Amino acid sequence: MKTKKSTLFTAALMALCLATPALAQENAGTVSYSDVEQLQSDNVLAKKLKITGYIQTQFQKADTAGIASFAGGDFASGIDNRIAVRRGRLKFLYDNENAQAVVQFDITEKGLAIKDAFLTVLEPWMNTVSLTGGVFDRPFGYEISYSSSARETPERSRIFQTLFPGERDLGGRLTIQAPKTSSWNFLRLDLGLMDGNGTNVETDSYKDIIGHISATKSSADEKFKWGLGASIYKGGFAYTTTNLYTMKKTGAEKGFVLETVKKGDQSLRQYLGLDAQLSYDWVLGITQFRGEYLMGTQPGTSSSSSSLTAANVSSKSVAASDGVVTTSNVGKDVYSRPFAGYYAYLIQNILQTPLQAVVKYDVYDPNTMVSGNEIAKAVTSGVKTGAADVKYSTLGVGLNYRWSSNVKFMAYYDFVRNETTSNIVKASTLDDLSHDRKDNVFTFRVQYKF
Amino acid sequence: MKKSLIAMGLVVSMMLPSVMSAQKVVCKIKGSDTCLPLSQKFAEVYGNKNAGSGISVVGGGSGVGLAALLSGTTDIAQSSRKMKIDEKLKIQETGKAVKEVIIAYDALSVIVNPSNPINKLTREQLESIFTGRVSNWKQVGGPDLKIIVYSRETSSGTYEFFKENVLKKKNFASNALLMAATGAIVQSVSQTKGAIGYVGLAYVDKDVKALQVSFDGGKNFVTPSVENAMSRKYPITRPLFYYYLTSRDAAFRPLINFILSSEGQKIVLAEGYVPLS
Repeated sequence: MKTKKSTLFTAALMALCLATPALAQENAGTVSYSDVEQLQSDNVLAKKLKITGYIQTQFQKADTAGIASFAGGDFASGIDNRIAVRRGRLKFLYDNENAQAVVQFDITEKGLAIKDAFLTVLEPWMNTVSLTGGVFDRPFGYEISYSSSARETPERSRIFQTLFPGERDLGGRLTIQAPKTSSWNFLRLDLGLMDGNGTNVETDSYKDIIGHISATKSSADEKFKWGLGASIYKGGFAYTTTNLYTMKKTGAEKGFVLETVKKGDQSLRQYLGLDAQLSYDWVLGITQFRGEYLMGTQPGTSSSSSSLTAANVSSKSVAASDGVVTTSNVGKDVYSRPFAGYYAYLIQNILQTPLQAVVKYDVYDPNTMVSGNEIAKAVTSGVKTGAADVKYSTLGVGLNYRWSSNVKFMAYYDFVRNETTSNIVKASTLDDLSHDRKDNVFTFRVQYKF
Repeated sequence: MKKSLIAMGLVVSMMLPSVMSAQKVVCKIKGSDTCLPLSQKFAEVYGNKNAGSGISVVGGGSGVGLAALLSGTTDIAQSSRKMKIDEKLKIQETGKAVKEVIIAYDALSVIVNPSNPINKLTREQLESIFTGRVSNWKQVGGPDLKIIVYSRETSSGTYEFFKENVLKKKNFASNALLMAATGAIVQSVSQTKGAIGYVGLAYVDKDVKALQVSFDGGKNFVTPSVENAMSRKYPITRPLFYYYLTSRDAAFRPLINFILSSEGQKIVLAEGYVPLS
């Protein structure tokens, strides 16, 4: 009896032992199959959808309260220091092999703005020609498309901020670059057909053409890398008045001379640019040099050489005494200036440490026909030049500490020098251009990138 | 005396595990297929000698290994090409730095099917074949047989080295068959009469035939071998690298020291690679 019981117990135990793994296997099989399918599906999606971004928070101290600045925007009246979120970027990239879609937002205390919204399609036969459409960086030069999260200085050069405010434009771009397997991969050609109105809604029928051709090569021992590029911009903005002022030299006088143009015709906006990049890996660490030179003709206004947009030339809102706001297209006269400018970066990665030293020098001369005391000098005919024609040079020195793959600290000082003219003497130190204004800016920035 | 001996023995026995544990290395090695057999052997021998070590080795290509190092998904990248300056900049951008160690050399070998009567080719002929300008073996003195070109994928360091040094940066033939692994090239060449490919010397076996090559216009043809690579007679010799973050140097140093030791270099030789000296 005892034996029978123990035999039964043993049989039951064995049955249980056998059944449990079988059951578990069955369950595991069913669950694991759908799990694997789900995981595979998630993995495919995760590979296609990339979410990246970065946040830059900074403290800045200016020499003088309320100065105009290209180090992240003008300081508010009476304010000489500020803490701000300079950039808060969130980028979504959906990459489906030969087609990509990108949307990027900028979220700061100033609000939410769309930075990028474009799609790119790469032809599948040679993988060489791609088409991009939407809002994206203008394909001009090198500094525009160099990411602000990777850049070694807080801001782009004054010349790029002036000629290409916001960097982006609406349009289409054709890119030709052979795949990496090709020996022609070192060459790249970008051709853009843009609205020329920044990220604003198009207001005229004119399109701007932008082109950039570049070449990059490395030495066989991977110690040295160089890049060269040339850019062209040809376009313009529709005149909103019949007055065009162009720079002319009449005898000893240099000033703006009035020409009559047809309203709606296209103003001349054309640039040429050359860019170069060098990297050298040596005993002190990797040294990088980047430089770019631009020249051309820029249509602006009497008070600014910044690129025209619909917003700054064609509308004016007036609030009447009864509170009713009327917006009308009043237009602004165009002042055409011959300009030139350049920048040069010298970046030294210090040995194999996370430290990086940077020196940057940039120059922007909005009007190459006048300099020094010629600026704002009275003319007998036409219109004299003014504060918008003053040349600026900025020497920046900085130190970056790459704390981790996510966090970077940046300490940077901008020494800003303006060309002086005895013809613009103002009581306010902010506007007085008879001497070098006190408008240097110190920036301490922390960046988190993900 | 007896007491002090016992005490000394106790101290030594207490220290021994810590000394031994200092040799323990746990890491992932990823990248070059050329380095794969060698790294696997290093991992095996080192693991047997140092209890507690765990070294996993995966191939995929030098580019894959270096990308994995950049993204932090491997500890050591094995590579048959030098790290590019852009890759170094990307690493530095994350606040890190890499250590480069040459672990051995390799004689890159051009292989054909053993039935192919061709025994030697000049660099110029190799360039013509791999770029597709020559498509039949009879054009280089062989039988009337279509040439089937096998190459590694673009992520391979061997691909880049071959393109740079043998093809002088010219494009591979558009009909070249790109293989994901070196073993696949050996297998394909061994099974295809008109095939030609290139692999690390350690992959050359009896199923394929390694060609003599000439880089001086046909004056001297040299067989790929350890001896010829060591004497620098063989023209397509290249270093094999390990890359890892300098911050992990202490953790991986015992393994690196072992690889660079005479014992490690004997393994290099035994596995068909070229030792450092």
